[in-house]
Amino acid sequence: MTSLQSRNEADALELVRKCVSRELPSGVPVPGDEEDFVQTGVIDSMGWVGILSAIEETTGIRNFGNPWPDEQPQSVRSLAKIVCGSISQTAREKVGENIALPAGSTVEVELVGWGCALGSVRVEAASINRECGLTPGTIEERAGIQSVCRADSNEDEATLGQKASELALQVASLEPEEVDLVIATSATFLSFPSLSAVLHTRLLLRESCGTLDVGGACVGLLHGLATARSLLSSTRQGVALVVASEVHSRRLCSPRVPGEFRGLFGDGACAFVLRCSNDGTLQGPARLGDLVWGCSGTFASSLRVAMREDNELEVHFQGEALAGAALSQLTRILDDLERRSGKLRNDVDYFAVHEPNPRIVGLFAERANIPREKIPLVSRTFGNLGSATCGVSLCAALSKVEGGPTASARPLIFVAAVGPGLIWGGTYLH
Amino acid sequence: MLEVILSDITVMGQGYCVIGLERQSPDSYRSVRPMPPQAFAWREPFPYSRGDCVCFDPVPTVVSPPHLEDQQSRGLIKTARSLNETQLIECLRKAEVSPDLEHLFGCQVQRSTQGGKAVWVKPNEARRSICGCEYDNVHFRLYPEPAGFSLRTEVLLRSDERLNSVPVVDREWRRFAGRLVQRIQRREPLPLAQRFLNWSVRPKLLATPLKFARIGLPRPKADQRCWLMLDSLFPQPEDSWLDSL
Repeated sequence: MTSLQSRNEADALELVRKCVSRELPSGVPVPGDEEDFVQTGVIDSMGWVGILSAIEETTGIRNFGNPWPDEQPQSVRSLAKIVCGSISQTAREKVGENIALPAGSTVEVELVGWGCALGSVRVEAASINRECGLTPGTIEERAGIQSVCRADSNEDEATLGQKASELALQVASLEPEEVDLVIATSATFLSFPSLSAVLHTRLLLRESCGTLDVGGACVGLLHGLATARSLLSSTRQGVALVVASEVHSRRLCSPRVPGEFRGLFGDGACAFVLRCSNDGTLQGPARLGDLVWGCSGTFASSLRVAMREDNELEVHFQGEALAGAALSQLTRILDDLERRSGKLRNDVDYFAVHEPNPRIVGLFAERANIPREKIPLVSRTFGNLGSATCGVSLCAALSKVEGGPTASARPLIFVAAVGPGLIWGGTYLH
Repeated sequence: MLEVILSDITVMGQGYCVIGLERQSPDSYRSVRPMPPQAFAWREPFPYSRGDCVCFDPVPTVVSPPHLEDQQSRGLIKTARSLNETQLIECLRKAEVSPDLEHLFGCQVQRSTQGGKAVWVKPNEARRSICGCEYDNVHFRLYPEPAGFSLRTEVLLRSDERLNSVPVVDREWRRFAGRLVQRIQRREPLPLAQRFLNWSVRPKLLATPLKFARIGLPRPKADQRCWLMLDSLFPQPEDSWLDSL
């Protein structure tokens, strides 16, 4: 036995003793290492599961103790042996410590699951014009919107986010308990517990799975991806769920909100599962590339949304100025992504971009010199979904890949978004 | 003679603990736990199923909290009546129900790091030992044991509150999980069985309007804790669900 092995075994024994002691009534000593604590009645079935759970939480070993070795007593020694066996099998973490990456190793983050959910009520453009006090044809002709989807009375940011997340986990073939971190973004969810906490509860994620909410409005999804990427690369977390969910129809329904602004928006959510690979072997259908982001305050005044003291929403919206700034910035993001990825836009399979409205997307395609069919259009039929727009577009892009994206046929997709501020962000999947 | 509709049949050691619904009025039922003479659990042969209507002669019983529903009997007599699952759930919704965690047992639910983060109540604080609730989500987890496995669930109540690591004592779900594990001819059947439960069985549960659970409390042990148990999970499992394996 090497000194490293013996140290690991000693560490494992110590860890198991601590987990066992947690299940014992206070003052009861930890049984001897060889003693079968269930047979001797020191610990019952509740305590046994408690020990297994505690070891799983501490070491990160999934399905710990399965299968239980034949003839092995339920003892400290047996548990410690399994801890050592599992760790040498994965050969990536030491007992009770964070992942120690070898010097010079590269951490890659891949996208392994995706899903979206849209409000189930479809509202046609003619109805939008009527309810927003616009002259007939306005929303179709000026914005290019044919319909929007809205949440029904049973739907909200949490239900849509949950639905999208469950689809994403299904695509990733992951169980909720495998998620280490959930990051949520929403400009319309104004309650506590926060959206990430609500989703954590509804999805029945592991208690030790972290939750985090990020802002950014229409750029929120990219902020979420950037945060997840960073945390996955630098902590022991292995799997992150990033969710964007918006229900504009309940926030923008005030008559104080200009009709030409209110009419653009729909309700929807998207979710993505990211997984960290620190051994260089990526199995997933898409790698997450570098992220670019920034803020150019010059155009901050083109869209300002604030909650007044009387709880009324106040919106300052300069449509033409905002459209011009957004167009210009989206094109710049493409330039950045070309530099970061080393690929030209001609090589890109799809562009998943934020869509203030379909007309701006058309102008963007023209200005950026990219074929319109490479932009899966969301806003024409679903409306502007805020932070979920580019995510729903990305889901559509991934579903368009013939035979589905695989590790051997990864599509190249540029993702870009702009939001009030003017903040912006972009990334690429490759 | 007292007539009850059998609503819960749970595994208790080598036997079964049984709860029935006694009709109080057209719109209300109350839970009664008929017990065999001189024991808590019924032994095999126990030829009854949920929904069966049975009669029994109640005999004077000394009860201790939280098992105020206990009722000693001289034995069960089957009647000709039996309810299907939908009818049974309809009755359960008219019995003890709680919209949230606080009202399940009328006392504060405690949690600790023990028992796999399961939750418990103090026996003297609980006002009953069985209560129904609607649920919105459920996940299954199988933990290895030398003799097999332990089936636990995570349950999300309609109130957006969560019950962690609830042991499943529902006889039918335990049998179903056992058959599932047996069918998987692999060295490590539990992860696959768990996956099947969560990916194939769970959507069937969530898709029905019959999502209803009965949470029960076992007899307290020396630590004076009554851990919350999943006495019944509706809809009940069907053997045909295993055909897709």
